[in-house]
Amino acid sequence: MHLLSNAVRSAALAALSLPLLGGAAVASDNKIAVAPGGPHPYFAPWEQAAADAKKDFGIGDVEYKVPTDWKLELQTELLESLASQGFKGFGIFPGDPVGVNSTITELKGAGIPVAALGGCTVDPTDAVFCFATDPYKTTYTMTKALIAAMGGKGNIVHLTGLLIDTNTTLREQAVQKAVDETNGAVKLLQTVADTDAEEAGDQKINALLAAQKDQIDGIIGTAHITSEVAAKALRAIGDKRIKYIAFDDSPAVLAAVKDGFAQATFVQNPYGQAYIGAFALDLIASGACKMKADAPWIKTPQTAHFIDSGVLEVTPDKLATYKDDVKKLTTDIQSKFKATYMDCK
Amino acid sequence: MTDQVLEPLRRRPFVLGQQAGLVVILVLLGALFTSKSPGFLSSFNLFVLGRSLAIDIVIGFSQMVVLATGGMNLSVGSIGVCVVMLGGYLMQVVGLSVPIACALALVLGGGLGWLNGFTIARSGVNSFIVTLASANLFSGAMLIVTKATPLNALPRSVAAFGQMRIGGGWVSPMLAVAVAIGVALIIFYRYSVVGRQSLATGANERAAEMSGVPVGRRIIAAHALSGVLAGVAGLLTVARVGAAMPAVGGQDWLLPSFLGPVLGGAALAGGFVSVGGTMLGAALVTTIRSGLLVMGIGNFWLDLFLGLFLLAAVLLQRYRGALSPRFRVRGA
Amino acid sequence: MRRILNAEWAGLLASIVVGAIVLAVVSPNFLSEFNFYVLLRSVCVSIIVAFAQMVTLAVGQMNLSVGALGGMTAILFGGMMEVFAVPLWLAVPIAITIGVLGGLVNGVLAARTGINGFIVTLATASAFTGVNLGLTKAVPFYKMPTALQDFGNGRIGALPFLLIAPLVVSPLLALFLFRLPIGRRLLAVGGNSQAAALSGISPGNAIVLAHCLSGFLAAIGAVLAVAQLGSAQPLIGSDWLLLSFAAPIIGGTALAGGYVSIIGAILAVLVIALIQNGLVLAKVDPYWVQFLLGALIVATISLNRWRARPIRLG
Repeated sequence: MHLLSNAVRSAALAALSLPLLGGAAVASDNKIAVAPGGPHPYFAPWEQAAADAKKDFGIGDVEYKVPTDWKLELQTELLESLASQGFKGFGIFPGDPVGVNSTITELKGAGIPVAALGGCTVDPTDAVFCFATDPYKTTYTMTKALIAAMGGKGNIVHLTGLLIDTNTTLREQAVQKAVDETNGAVKLLQTVADTDAEEAGDQKINALLAAQKDQIDGIIGTAHITSEVAAKALRAIGDKRIKYIAFDDSPAVLAAVKDGFAQATFVQNPYGQAYIGAFALDLIASGACKMKADAPWIKTPQTAHFIDSGVLEVTPDKLATYKDDVKKLTTDIQSKFKATYMDCK
Repeated sequence: MTDQVLEPLRRRPFVLGQQAGLVVILVLLGALFTSKSPGFLSSFNLFVLGRSLAIDIVIGFSQMVVLATGGMNLSVGSIGVCVVMLGGYLMQVVGLSVPIACALALVLGGGLGWLNGFTIARSGVNSFIVTLASANLFSGAMLIVTKATPLNALPRSVAAFGQMRIGGGWVSPMLAVAVAIGVALIIFYRYSVVGRQSLATGANERAAEMSGVPVGRRIIAAHALSGVLAGVAGLLTVARVGAAMPAVGGQDWLLPSFLGPVLGGAALAGGFVSVGGTMLGAALVTTIRSGLLVMGIGNFWLDLFLGLFLLAAVLLQRYRGALSPRFRVRGA
Repeated sequence: MRRILNAEWAGLLASIVVGAIVLAVVSPNFLSEFNFYVLLRSVCVSIIVAFAQMVTLAVGQMNLSVGALGGMTAILFGGMMEVFAVPLWLAVPIAITIGVLGGLVNGVLAARTGINGFIVTLATASAFTGVNLGLTKAVPFYKMPTALQDFGNGRIGALPFLLIAPLVVSPLLALFLFRLPIGRRLLAVGGNSQAAALSGISPGNAIVLAHCLSGFLAAIGAVLAVAQLGSAQPLIGSDWLLLSFAAPIIGGTALAGGYVSIIGAILAVLVIALIQNGLVLAKVDPYWVQFLLGALIVATISLNRWRARPIRLG
């Protein structure tokens, strides 16, 4: 009698204490994968984020898998193979915002949720959500910052990534919008695309500077490698007159901000994207949670289910602390994510 | 008369040996991969493999028909994407039915290929240079016209075709299409005069010409056919992806287009191709890639193992052939 | 003068002159010292890469691993300096040796096993890329020695320091291929391997030598690229392949082997660089770039063809 009631009492106590623990570290045995569209230094933090997510949230396994080249078929092949190996959820940077949708639909049909991280798929899509930097809004903000740094007037050039990437089109439109709003005080001289690769970018950006260095008052770089190359080019010609707003935080860009070759750079949150993405996917894959239909989604030109992963403007004074600021941003978003965006049993 | 010039038959026993070699290697690899991960032979995995294999096979055929006549076609990917975008446009914007839109788009493919062949035959410029230029011209024109905008509101039947499985099994109708084209090509090269004359052109253009083979016309025909096949591969990709995207094809198709035929035994200098070998060659590469993924080979090191496996497979094949003195191979 | 006009690359030279005039009119900045510097800087690596492919074409082979070998050499070069603090003067010869070894692998496999050089180099290209990505995980090595970076960015007027490489390599290569017996044998093998074998040259050895030379040149290109970019990027070499074929062939090198044109290859690289430079200068709508590139290749070849048209006698 006693033993039984003791046992019952312990069980009751144990059951009661579970909610007190906040429901954290309830181990799931899901295998989640985070996969970029191809090799790129931007995704390097995803590896650590995957390991941390596995540890912090008690997920069975979170792996960082990379297709060997930026080709859609390679990413598709990778996802399909991982699915056959029993992976239950994928966080991907779309190899192509439109082309990857059919694979996502197929995976959904097999009960595997897919989320877009770092870049969005284009609606109609079966991706459960998109957790990324808003390319349109961010570029718009960056252009406004550049115009402000230029004193509201002058000529600018826009250096950007792949022409066939729909994100690039959005960025071009955003720059145009910001320029139009100055009513002619600022002119967009030229857009140079396909500069997001070192060798090609080096050639084009240097050619641009050679051609029009004296007519350019401001440069906006909206791609990762592009920004790095432009930072180096400006430093090589020793030019501090041209105002430059860059993207991401490669060492060359940070050095440029520090030494005055760039006014600021806008830093994304790759770590957070993978970390929180894995967290959410695990919950969805276990069936424990669903995305709320009426969550405070942001509607972007690409998708209606967008969650902003945050962007930080890093000016020279913020260089020392920006990494901590980004971390804080991640923790902030993660703690509120479930309550804001998900319906859980 | 033309028969005296045509002697592809002499190499047939060797090719059979080579094809048999490929089959053996495929079986071995399949067994290896399955033992490491049963998921390899799962219905889902075979289905998705079959689908991408189908596309790679047709891309390989597109290059093969030009290799046969002793040339090469660097614009395979560009023609493919032009056909894709025209097809998508006709389906989505003009509202034509899917079969008609496809047919018209393939006409474009054939036309662009014809343009290549005509230029090569009339000007005598190396097919490498002509198709290098045309690849840029075709892709460039496509970008200008479409402004790189993808078309993703195609009729549902398109994506449905991509998802279909024959009899609910693991075979995709796309694979059936690829095999059917293969059979047609075998008949073409073995039994039709045009086909055999094309091979003769590749083997020795001057000799063929002197024996009465209309060399120019055969080259033009080969390129036109190549264009149509590139178009077919493009349309298959549209079905798979469910959208017409400007990012399809292009330079990405270059290497696969050569890989299948060459692994399968086609002579880069022309005059000899193996349809079956092309299909097996493409299958080999697909299998190795998929197998490596399934075995969980570290992310970034995948290509290293792909290269090593490919070398091993080809070496194995070579030494199998070298063991029987009748089929000894001279260095390429 | 007559000799220049009759040379098969005269068409290319004419294209360059015409193109330069057009660009100078369209954009006055074309003639600026800085722009010449930019233009010259962009061809240094490309010329070496073109040579790397040209030497394999000479023996009737192809080297599809030219870019992958370059990339792998580049990151090993950068990596040994950043991670193992190998000094620059030692790292350069080591990197070049790596290139030669890579070429040796290609050559031996192609010559001794009877496997088509196409397949061999395709497979090794994949392998080299794998090593590249496996070691770097797509993250570049950023800390390159200042001396190297200064070399990459430095110039005298419009002449970049990087130009030293093609200026030295071109005449040496010409000497090797056209004057030295061993080089001439290489070309002989490409032209007619049976005849060459009969005169006592082993085609197999020639193929191995050609591939080693190709690897050697690819490694030089890689070192230059690292200097130019200021960091060892895993993606170095990823777009070398097409250019490595296009330049020699447009320049007159025979695809089937036996005949190469060094000047032709250099001029072809210049034409292509001019086109790309010009497209940016002329502020061409990015959507038009590819189309115009194709059109210009057509124009260049047509010019060449027209110039070489047979003269009817009688």
